[in-house]
Amino acid sequence: MKWLILGPEIYFLAVAAVFLTLSMMRPNGRRDFSAALFLAGIGVAVTLAAVRLEGSLVYGAYRVDLFSQVFKGLLSMGFFLVVCLCSNLNGIQEARHPEFYLLLATCTLGMMLLVSSLELLTMYVALELTSYSLYGLVPLRSGGGQQMEAGIKYFLAGIATSALMLFGMASLFGATQTTYIGELSLKLPGLLNTPMAFIGLLLTLCGFFFKLALFPFHVWAPSVYQGAANQVTAFVATATKVTAMAMIARLVSMSHGNTSLAHMLIALAIISMTYGNLVALVQKDFKRLLAYSAIAHAGYSLIGILSMNPTGYAAAAFYALAYLATTFICFLVVVKVASDGRDVAIVQLAGLHRRSPLLAMALMVGVFSLGGIPPTIGFTGKFLVFTAAMQKGYFLLVLIAMINVVVSLYYYIQVVRAAFLLEPDEELPRINLSAPATILTAVMVVVIIVGGIFPRYLFQLAQAAVQALP
Amino acid sequence: MIMELAGFPYLSAILLNCVMGLLVILFIPREREALVKWISLAFSGIALALSIYVYCAYDRTLGGLQFVEKLLWVEPLGIHYFNGADGFNLPLILLTGIVHFTGVLTMWELRGRVKEFFAFAFTLVLGVFGFFMSMDLFFLFIWFDVSLFPMYPLIAIWGTTRKEYGATKLFLHVLAGSALVLPGIVYLAVASGLHTFDIVALMQPGVLTPGQQKFAFLLFYLGFGILAGVWPFHTWSPVGHVAAPTSVSMIHAGVLMKVGAFGILRVGIFLCPLGWEYWAPVMAVLATIGILYGVFVGLTQVDLKYVVAYSSVSHMGIVGLGLSTVTAEGLNGAVFQMFAHGIMTALLFSSLGYIYDKTHTKLIPDLGGMSRVMPVASGYFIVAALAGMGVPGFASFWAEVTVFISALKVYPALGSLAIFALVLSALYMLRVVQRTFYGQRNERYAHLSDVSFSLGLPRMILVATMVLFGLFPRLMLDLIQTAVIPFMGGLPR
Repeated sequence: MKWLILGPEIYFLAVAAVFLTLSMMRPNGRRDFSAALFLAGIGVAVTLAAVRLEGSLVYGAYRVDLFSQVFKGLLSMGFFLVVCLCSNLNGIQEARHPEFYLLLATCTLGMMLLVSSLELLTMYVALELTSYSLYGLVPLRSGGGQQMEAGIKYFLAGIATSALMLFGMASLFGATQTTYIGELSLKLPGLLNTPMAFIGLLLTLCGFFFKLALFPFHVWAPSVYQGAANQVTAFVATATKVTAMAMIARLVSMSHGNTSLAHMLIALAIISMTYGNLVALVQKDFKRLLAYSAIAHAGYSLIGILSMNPTGYAAAAFYALAYLATTFICFLVVVKVASDGRDVAIVQLAGLHRRSPLLAMALMVGVFSLGGIPPTIGFTGKFLVFTAAMQKGYFLLVLIAMINVVVSLYYYIQVVRAAFLLEPDEELPRINLSAPATILTAVMVVVIIVGGIFPRYLFQLAQAAVQALP
Repeated sequence: MIMELAGFPYLSAILLNCVMGLLVILFIPREREALVKWISLAFSGIALALSIYVYCAYDRTLGGLQFVEKLLWVEPLGIHYFNGADGFNLPLILLTGIVHFTGVLTMWELRGRVKEFFAFAFTLVLGVFGFFMSMDLFFLFIWFDVSLFPMYPLIAIWGTTRKEYGATKLFLHVLAGSALVLPGIVYLAVASGLHTFDIVALMQPGVLTPGQQKFAFLLFYLGFGILAGVWPFHTWSPVGHVAAPTSVSMIHAGVLMKVGAFGILRVGIFLCPLGWEYWAPVMAVLATIGILYGVFVGLTQVDLKYVVAYSSVSHMGIVGLGLSTVTAEGLNGAVFQMFAHGIMTALLFSSLGYIYDKTHTKLIPDLGGMSRVMPVASGYFIVAALAGMGVPGFASFWAEVTVFISALKVYPALGSLAIFALVLSALYMLRVVQRTFYGQRNERYAHLSDVSFSLGLPRMILVATMVLFGLFPRLMLDLIQTAVIPFMGGLPR
């Protein structure tokens, strides 16, 4: 019975096994999609049912608590939503579809293990499971050659940061003689003024900075966003970011408000926001633009974490949810506009308001939520993060972040302009959304707006979840 | 859940009515343009009726905050859904109701993407109503941005002269303002130590130290001042006004610039009175420069809409001058001027819109002798121009006189300069009226028909409002007094 608390993990392992079996059968895209959608839907139910479970396994290396379960819930929702986008998986050869779902499931499984692991080596193994699934997913796209470039870039940058991370973990172990987060968080605050422990913690964080695409670990993001299949990018842009935010919060909370670490993170946050927003200004491809916007958002989300107070961690968790919903809706539009699986340039959004008014509205809501304009969930996320930073007295940081928000509005408004104002050179056909797709889009729009004006319960949930942090 | 409700929630009803209007419009098929217009008219009519009711039902003998609706929203952060009406915001709620209703009527002949236009317009007005009635900083900021973002599509899609440039410039300027306001709001909530966004709780004396007030006031003055068209942050406003379609210009100059001025009043002056006193001389200088600048630049314009736009800069300077006097009369006049200028400028843009729709030009040299072609349409513009000059009998006269008297007392030199500018403004308004409406009749436009009764209706309502409050200024001044006197009395001195 003890193993029942691993319900979600066991379930996703089973999902992976199902697709392993399917990959050995004759290719059938419809069958794979229906199976994936069905299994992902049940996966959400399983994780939500497991939200209240608590327990500890393997001598405390693996802990199931509200923090991990909330993030597992988010991850299974991310998995479900991305599978929803796969009804026309045209960017990937049909024969590869089972492998695509298989890797997606193992990647989700890896991230679920990650948010529960409380020991450095467990963490590393779980992270590698996630990473290797992604190394397989990125170059899975058919045609061209850019997917290979993206895949190799991602792989090389990924293993390099893995090495840094291992080095960091070794230093942490050297400084504290333990790999357990629980013991680390007791010993670290006194040791953080020694270079070994400080560098160790910082390098350990690098592995997750890489996943979050925080400057200077962002170099892979533009190529991967553009080069990978749209659905894969959607997954990379949502689920992996959520996990990275959770893990950075977990590791940073070990330092118990160390100021030099906070200053380091402030510098990274400012550079990341500014760099991401400035480079995004000149982008022509929508997915590439979203990549640079993700680099900027990595900076915003870090503001909540570096505040190192309960409001800050709760704000970061809320921000992760907001970012998941907001980014997903943008990729939903990308996938529907590029029904043949190609890339979408911003000018190709022209005339969207006539081709599909609902998608145009969804795009506007999504982009404004990314930009942080009320009453969207993106604004509320930023507001909470800024409140946390202000409680620590980081006024200048908040002001710089707000200036960044205004800079970013320029390129977000270009997307809205394309969708509502520009007329396409040739008349393009209407985009006909199926009934489930219409409902999904409408629900996401409602979630973004209602979450924005009524954040109460979500924020309380986030507050309850981060109490599990040391 | 803590909840305070004084009777039927009329204020929320206004907001809900706008939301309903928006939703109903979204679900009408886009081909049914006439239906969209009628639905918009009905919902804006209900909003107007409700705002008139609230204006009249406010108990002036009692004063203070009435129609209070308070609901705890996010407990850990101290956010409340908190609406209330007092002598400061009631005139502006009424103004919004009138301008929106007449704006819908003014756009009755709109062709193309009608549904989207009215949907965006309702979103904008929803934000403006919410901003005026909210007493919680968090919601105040939400409504602030809700009222700003529809400006971009409204101008960029349906606008005219250099519309994309104007829309982008406006959007980035006003959102840069909101980027200063948000840190200010969060700073106040955290620095006060109360961890609440409730304006009433934060405005208690002694909650914020003088240093905090001086710092925060500057943020609010700059942040909201950009939207209020304070010189030298006004540059977006003429470009945006000129590019916008008629009813958007009306809402924009008539209501949205007041959102900025009201933000300075409600957030800056209410919460940071010491900062207000400290920065008042700077405000006065900037406001006077704005008044003079608007007049002088207005003198040389050839585009009618630019003339009106610069007159707005000048008239908003008068609001700023009134606020900067730190006296009861000054505040009184400033709030009255917000209302009067809103009505007047809506009338100017509305009457201009009709002329532009028919002649397809708004360049003064191309027009001329319009009063012989369309005497009624010209009449509306001339009436509004007279009001703009501050002729007695119109609401703006009382507002400007009140401001100037208090300004002369507090800043004699700046006050005299402002009055000098007012004389000049008569000159440029008369110049425009003479060149556009009198003189040789332009044969090109001889065949054009005059404004019909139904199309003239919105202008009639605006003229009637101006004259009503011009002849009976106490209808408004007494109401504003109920808020100004206790507020000034409560200031620490």
